[in-house]
Amino acid sequence: MEPVKINARQLFVLIVLFEHGSSIVIPLGVGAKQDVWLAILLGLTFGLLLFFVYYRLHRYYPDAPLTAYAQDIAGPWVGKILAFIYIVYFLYIASRVLRDFGELLLTFAYPETPLFILNAIMMLAVMYGVYKGIEVVARTGELFLTFLYLLAVSGFILIISTGLVDLHRLQPVLEEGWKRVWKVVFTETLYVPFGEMIVFTMLFPYMNNPKKMKQVAIAGMALSGINLAIIMTINIAVLGADVAARSTFPLLDTIRKIQVANFLERLDIFFMIALIIGGFFKVSVFFYAAVIGTANLFHMQNHQRLVYLLGLMVLLLSIAIASNYPEHIKEGLKIVTIYMHVPLQIIIPLCLLVAAAIRRRSFKQQ
Amino acid sequence: MKRKMAMIFSLLLCAITLSGCWSKKELTDLAFVIAVGIDKTEDGKYMMIFQVVNPGNVAGATQRGGGSGGVPVSIYKATGDNVVEASRKASNKLSRLIYYAHTNLVVISEEIAKEGVDGLLDALERNSQFRTTAMVVIARHHSAEDVLKILTPIDKISANQIIKTLQFSEKVWGQTLNVRVGDVIHDLDSAGKAPIISGVEIVGAVKKGKRQTNVQASEPDARLNINGIAMFKNGKLVGWVFGETARGVLWVMDKIEQTSITVEWKRKKEAVAYKVVRAKTSVAAHMKNGKPSISIRIKAEGDIGESLVPIDFTNPMQIFALEKKIEQTIKNEVVHAVGKAKKEKTDVFGFGNAVYRSYPREWKKMKHVWDESIFPQLEVNVTVDAFVRRTELRTKPYIFGQ
Repeated sequence: MEPVKINARQLFVLIVLFEHGSSIVIPLGVGAKQDVWLAILLGLTFGLLLFFVYYRLHRYYPDAPLTAYAQDIAGPWVGKILAFIYIVYFLYIASRVLRDFGELLLTFAYPETPLFILNAIMMLAVMYGVYKGIEVVARTGELFLTFLYLLAVSGFILIISTGLVDLHRLQPVLEEGWKRVWKVVFTETLYVPFGEMIVFTMLFPYMNNPKKMKQVAIAGMALSGINLAIIMTINIAVLGADVAARSTFPLLDTIRKIQVANFLERLDIFFMIALIIGGFFKVSVFFYAAVIGTANLFHMQNHQRLVYLLGLMVLLLSIAIASNYPEHIKEGLKIVTIYMHVPLQIIIPLCLLVAAAIRRRSFKQQ
Repeated sequence: MKRKMAMIFSLLLCAITLSGCWSKKELTDLAFVIAVGIDKTEDGKYMMIFQVVNPGNVAGATQRGGGSGGVPVSIYKATGDNVVEASRKASNKLSRLIYYAHTNLVVISEEIAKEGVDGLLDALERNSQFRTTAMVVIARHHSAEDVLKILTPIDKISANQIIKTLQFSEKVWGQTLNVRVGDVIHDLDSAGKAPIISGVEIVGAVKKGKRQTNVQASEPDARLNINGIAMFKNGKLVGWVFGETARGVLWVMDKIEQTSITVEWKRKKEAVAYKVVRAKTSVAAHMKNGKPSISIRIKAEGDIGESLVPIDFTNPMQIFALEKKIEQTIKNEVVHAVGKAKKEKTDVFGFGNAVYRSYPREWKKMKHVWDESIFPQLEVNVTVDAFVRRTELRTKPYIFGQ
């Protein structure tokens, strides 16, 4: 483990940037049409419940990351396999987010650039950040979050002042009842981005003020959830549910519609900055968790030597996982959700928590 | 030494990666397409017309006062089975790369509009250079090519002329409206609202219009004129509305900002001009015994612009009486517009959408028969509240004393 510490504010910043990450640009939960805001807020509610599971686990082992206490709870053999699975999971999701990022940039800004180049440049930056350690990434985050918020607020004002928002487009509420909303919650919004908080079980031990951790994490998640709900609601109110559902990047379409006073227009760069900042921190957090986990599992003192190797793996994986963008998205929504998010974000943490609780109790009785 | 090498290496790396010249396009290699026209050829293919800016002749023309140097735009054409093919094919006539990021106008010929615009717009929506905030017009009577060829005075680039005319005419007159590509796609996409697009026509001699001499006369031989609103059904143009009926459409859609309404007074037609300064329309759907109905509520505020008959405007009772007349006139416009749309069986006002918003469950049942059987029989109640707020600088007109 690195001897570094991050403070409460830095954890907050990391969580907010991580949660916004790619969710801000993709059509998050548009299956719920105009009720998408409900789907996101419900996803947040259940995501917070999941977070309590992760938090309880962390309270049992305040100084260890997930990969370490899994071995303690489930025994050395099963625990090592679990830890390995989690490392692969983090690496895979890191490469998925990297792919998302590259595809998005390619589609609207660099149509003639090969995907590999874009991903490689991004990955170089991520590798450098992770090599320097989580504290450096967190401090960078503090800078960029302010910047992102300035952009978001000015973008919001511009959208309103262009007169684009038509609240009628949010009606009718609950057109097909709650069923459609629940379906989206339990197939999409619960896992991405809220269930992905599982990756922070690897970072919690670095916190220098464990007492504040719960408040900070909940505040970070809630803020992100509310922000995402607002962003998707604006997208729907500007574009209409049908166009937003067909769009590859609804936020881009929304920003492109801004036209204020014949000169404040074509602000695509807003979207690009949001995409790059969010993408960088999401990949970094996943990648860092994977690197730290590997170092922990194989008892390496220095995680930095792993950065090159695993970084290269993430980069190659991001190219290899899908042959086209629709395939990539389909995998993400169907296969990854059922075979990865559900067991690794919900089932295994719950099992670990129950096992840990039972063991604690039997210890106390002795 | 090692440190120095590393520094130089990283600097070089930055120079290579940060300059972003992977797919560079020099300004002098780009042809800025300001307007795109779409026509149909005789053998059923699409013909794309590109109005490309002649950069040297735009800024220069105003300075030279008259622009004897050359025309501000030039026209390129290409045919193809679809929009993308035609657009790429144009490269064998153009010495530069076609660049769509500044395309602000799409002109669709009436012929194509009648066959359907469904497929056309996909290429425009999908392309990342092209903006869906570009405006759409239908070329009436003439081909899109003719419309884009006409040279215009005042605004040198005729696409800008059309765009500005659309914007200002909607604002102060309200018988045409500016529709963006995104709006049309949204309407085609969502149930219960059919698109409408304004028409542009050429008045005068088309052949003379494309010569520079057209803009050297005080009255050009050919002019572009915005006129009429095309109503679509299932993506196909089915009919036009003009004049006051067209304004009725805008009233319902809450697009009226300012306009002028002429009302009769004591059997004299066209007696008083009422200038609308502010207007607001709300449309609500109701459901009674499973039958939908629509209520339209229009609120207009304005001044007296002109009076050709002796009315005593110092007397509030007269003003109230006049307001009644204004309300009746506006209501007639709206009723005509609704009647016309009902006749064409196309819901251009989005009444279906209003029903969907308020009664989603009932809407599901009537969605498929809405255009054919429900909309034409729909009960539409119009209430207008018109207010004369001021009479401008005079009270009684000078003919009052006679």
